[in-house]
Amino acid sequence: MLKLMKYEFRKTLVTKLILLGITAAVEIGYLISLYTEAKTALTVCIVLLTLLAVGGVMMMGLGSVLTLHRDMNTKQSYMLFMTPNSCHRILGAKVLENGLSILTAGAFYFALGALDITLLFWRSNAINEIWDFVQQFIHSMNDQIRLDTAGFAAFIFSLLAGWIMTVTLAYLADVVSAALLNGKKHNGLLSFALFLVLSWLIGWLTGMTTAGIADYNLKLVVRGAVNLVLAGIMYEITAQIMERKLSV
Amino acid sequence: MLESKSVTKMFGTLAAVDHISLSLEKGHVYAMLGPNGSGKTTWMKMAAGLIKPTSGQILFQGQPVNIESRKHIAYMSTEPYFYSWMTVKDVGKYYADFFDDFSYDSYLDLLRQMELTEEMKTSTLSSGMMAKLKIAVTIARDAQVYMLDEPFNGIDLLARDEMRRCILQYATEEKLLLVSSHLVEEMEAVADRAVFIQKGKLVENVDLEEMRTEMGVSMADRYRQIYGHTEE
Repeated sequence: MLKLMKYEFRKTLVTKLILLGITAAVEIGYLISLYTEAKTALTVCIVLLTLLAVGGVMMMGLGSVLTLHRDMNTKQSYMLFMTPNSCHRILGAKVLENGLSILTAGAFYFALGALDITLLFWRSNAINEIWDFVQQFIHSMNDQIRLDTAGFAAFIFSLLAGWIMTVTLAYLADVVSAALLNGKKHNGLLSFALFLVLSWLIGWLTGMTTAGIADYNLKLVVRGAVNLVLAGIMYEITAQIMERKLSV
Repeated sequence: MLESKSVTKMFGTLAAVDHISLSLEKGHVYAMLGPNGSGKTTWMKMAAGLIKPTSGQILFQGQPVNIESRKHIAYMSTEPYFYSWMTVKDVGKYYADFFDDFSYDSYLDLLRQMELTEEMKTSTLSSGMMAKLKIAVTIARDAQVYMLDEPFNGIDLLARDEMRRCILQYATEEKLLLVSSHLVEEMEAVADRAVFIQKGKLVENVDLEEMRTEMGVSMADRYRQIYGHTEE
């Protein structure tokens, strides 16, 4: 499994390096702006870093789905499927590598954000003003988030778990397209429709599961956990389809 | 060693392989022959476990081909299939990572024979060099079955001689070699048995020496008899 994960990591390495390079460049811009007190540039860098954090995590997932698509629909599929590895292991390596990448990227941007905010406090005299800005920004994303460590951690966990589930669902839709709908009319459209329907269904299910929970942090944690369980179920269904029906 | 039991593969309404039953034994080099689209590649991919048959099954040592059989069956596709970011060295390391029977020393030796170096990027290899690399990495495995799909495609005459020598050097009594090619004359010097396939159906699985003595025809002659002059 580790060897498969190593190659999954290698396949998406270029995307990760590009993302890291752009983040490093913007971070340098941020530090220079902070040091020179160039307020406009500082604001631009903060916005860019925020977008990179959200977009970066999303890119990791999308990159992984594209890799699976290539691994099933191009000749490079032979590299993977002629090895003595079951589809469970092949897909498992993809899910684990991608999950770890998403969590690592989330932790990385969280740590970078914490560092940048600390530096901003340290450098700026207008601490209250900045703190207000941060609060307003986070509340604009979700007005129920509590701005304490536990609340923020619960929010990030729920967000990342939700994204891992979405990526796993995209794997399922892609595998259905390659294994069950291959050669059929409107193949892509049908698998996309399946993705949308299942997304809605899962959203409804997680909503129902957490409906009775009053504490918002707990609700986020339970929602994240439900999403991870559902991701596991999606993984099993996807691997079974691959095992029984996939021809490359 | 490798047995095909009424194997069929449908692509929509087209039968790419149509109820093929045949038995391939170790100690032989089989030439799998037939015009383009006759089902050779599809059958090989099913034996390699890459394609699932619509019906029937392929057995390796009495068991349906599965993950376990992939440990013992080395398949070389006619199309290039390496990841574009790989160097020749990466390809060897990949095989070493996944196949216990892969010998990196044999691989290096074969690379030297085929005038390839570890630093070469697979994405920049010519079709001839790519064909050599595919052969090298496949036969560097100490597999029980080798299936080579059109190994001589895109290779000049001298390189073909070199590759033929390499392939035969690995053909022992304990191994089964199955080589598909449309270069029938080239295969005459390599194979001792021939499997003729036409429109997805097995025509015959013959011993070439017997065919020469009993029917008085070469493999190329027989090919012409079966498929007609225009189809070759």
